[in-house]
Amino acid sequence: MENKSGSHRLAAVLSDAVLIAYFIFALFPIVWMLLISLKPGEELFTTRFVFHPTLDNYQAILFGDPRAAAGVVAKQEFPRYFLNSLILATGSVVVSLLFGVPAAYALARYKFKGKEDLAFTFLSFRFAPELVVIIPLAVLYRQLGLYDTYWGMIWVLQLVTLPLLIWVLRSYFEDISPDIEQAAMIDGYPWWRIFWNILLPLVRPGLAAAALLAFIFAWNSFIFPLVLGASNTTTVTVAALGYLSSAQSFFNRMAAAAVISSIPQIVLALSIQRYLIRGLSFGAVKG
Amino acid sequence: MAELRLEHIYKTYKGGVEAVKDLNLTVKNGEFLALLGPSGCGKTSTLRMIVGLESITRGEMYIGDRLVNKLEPNARNVALAFETYALYPPLRVWENIAFCLRAKSIPPEEIHRRVMEVATMLDIANILERKPSELGGGEKQRVSLARALVRDPDVFLMDEPLSHLDAAQRANMRVEFKRLHAQTGRTTILVTHDQLEAVAMAERIAVMNFGVLQQVGSFEEVYNHPTNEFVAGFIGEPPMNFLPGKPVSENGATVLDAKDGSFRIRLPDAAGAKVQTSKAELVDLGIRPVHLEVTRGEPELGKLEIAATVVTYEDLGEEGQLAAKVSETNVLVVTPLI
Repeated sequence: MENKSGSHRLAAVLSDAVLIAYFIFALFPIVWMLLISLKPGEELFTTRFVFHPTLDNYQAILFGDPRAAAGVVAKQEFPRYFLNSLILATGSVVVSLLFGVPAAYALARYKFKGKEDLAFTFLSFRFAPELVVIIPLAVLYRQLGLYDTYWGMIWVLQLVTLPLLIWVLRSYFEDISPDIEQAAMIDGYPWWRIFWNILLPLVRPGLAAAALLAFIFAWNSFIFPLVLGASNTTTVTVAALGYLSSAQSFFNRMAAAAVISSIPQIVLALSIQRYLIRGLSFGAVKG
Repeated sequence: MAELRLEHIYKTYKGGVEAVKDLNLTVKNGEFLALLGPSGCGKTSTLRMIVGLESITRGEMYIGDRLVNKLEPNARNVALAFETYALYPPLRVWENIAFCLRAKSIPPEEIHRRVMEVATMLDIANILERKPSELGGGEKQRVSLARALVRDPDVFLMDEPLSHLDAAQRANMRVEFKRLHAQTGRTTILVTHDQLEAVAMAERIAVMNFGVLQQVGSFEEVYNHPTNEFVAGFIGEPPMNFLPGKPVSENGATVLDAKDGSFRIRLPDAAGAKVQTSKAELVDLGIRPVHLEVTRGEPELGKLEIAATVVTYEDLGEEGQLAAKVSETNVLVVTPLI
């Protein structure tokens, strides 16, 4: 008995150790980023650990650099880029919800010719490398006048957000018995009210999880805004790159920009955390 | 409450599958009818056409005097208790029951009164605040019944209502169904593949197979006077034995002769006459397992004898079941315990 509880304790300690190791491993880049963002420029490349925290970098990217040398791009436009990211990521998710929820429902409920092909096509949008389509897209966007517009960006970000929503929600809808809808039909409800009152509450965990992930993917998207956007639609991911130039590399400002741009994702993730685990594992486990 | 009348109803699905063929059936006002048949016999298609979840390919359907072919499900004033209960998971029991009343802009006091009335009738007044996920199978069943009954339907349909319950709950609910029917006097249709349910609850049984209505009648009628071999074999547990034989005329009577001479049976006069007029070359003799008896030696006076070889014997606790072979045919006998 004693032996057993001893080995139990050993297993517990070991599993804790592994978790802690992973925790450090996963958190290290974030801590490192935070540290760099708080360092003055001369402390960035030292062989010893020197750390005199300063908020200069944050001040520089948010309010402009008073000491900026001529020729160095003033980066006080960062708040605007942040807003751009917010508009594009939110807009993409909203558009994806508008089209993805009905699409997922249709793919789950109705039998029609080419259904699986269509579903697979949606999925392929997700796993096809962005670099494959980016050149033709850039040509198209210039011809159509979508280049460097919000609508153009939101449209192209559907490649990132829409497949995710459709595939997660589809398995949710498939798990809901059609009997429930038919019962509500007999009860005398129009389809949209059944959908709103009965189905939507049932898929909400999946909806929240998928929408959050879609938001994060859209926010993190780099290639699309880099190639298809310009000064009007610069996002934080592209803007952060702007701190590195041939003349001077502001790694500390880049880190500060990265810290600020990770805030919305962290806030969102924490606020719907309880949906996240249940939401994604539920749809994923069933074959 | 109203009479339900199906006249020459057909259901043909895309691709040409004929699920229901020329169905004529009248369910009288206040009657409890069971639609019985094996799976794929068309009983569920029939139910779905009555409720309005499935279009009617051909024929006319009346509830009372109303032709309902083209009416939406909610305009037909029918209620369906689903096999899977199909309760609305996000809603509490109370809201589940009130859901259909809310659709019709009924004043809140009236809704409250009617929900409480069915809840009391079904003994679920104490679980009105719970969510469906917190209920047991029997409770779900009661809620689904309450939801169906609260709308005061002209025709009340139940689709395999007992299939997800355990044996004790089943016995319980069978009694409950009969009580509810007696109490409300509603036109009720029970769709089931289980003849025990049909026999226990319904006043009349409609037997279907391959989309065709085979026979409608009381249990006594379909059991003792089946119209065809399917009904004879389907009704009764264990199922009827069929012995093939050649009818031969002998001294004015008809005798059934097994091909290999394993039995010769003189048919009763009425049956014999029928076989004679049909001029059939080969007929099946149907005998229920409960009407067979195992004997040794000479048969008692007035009883007929068939020689058989015993294959197995099962002790079922209250009775025994003997499987035997008469030439090539398997025969089942229900015996007292040995």
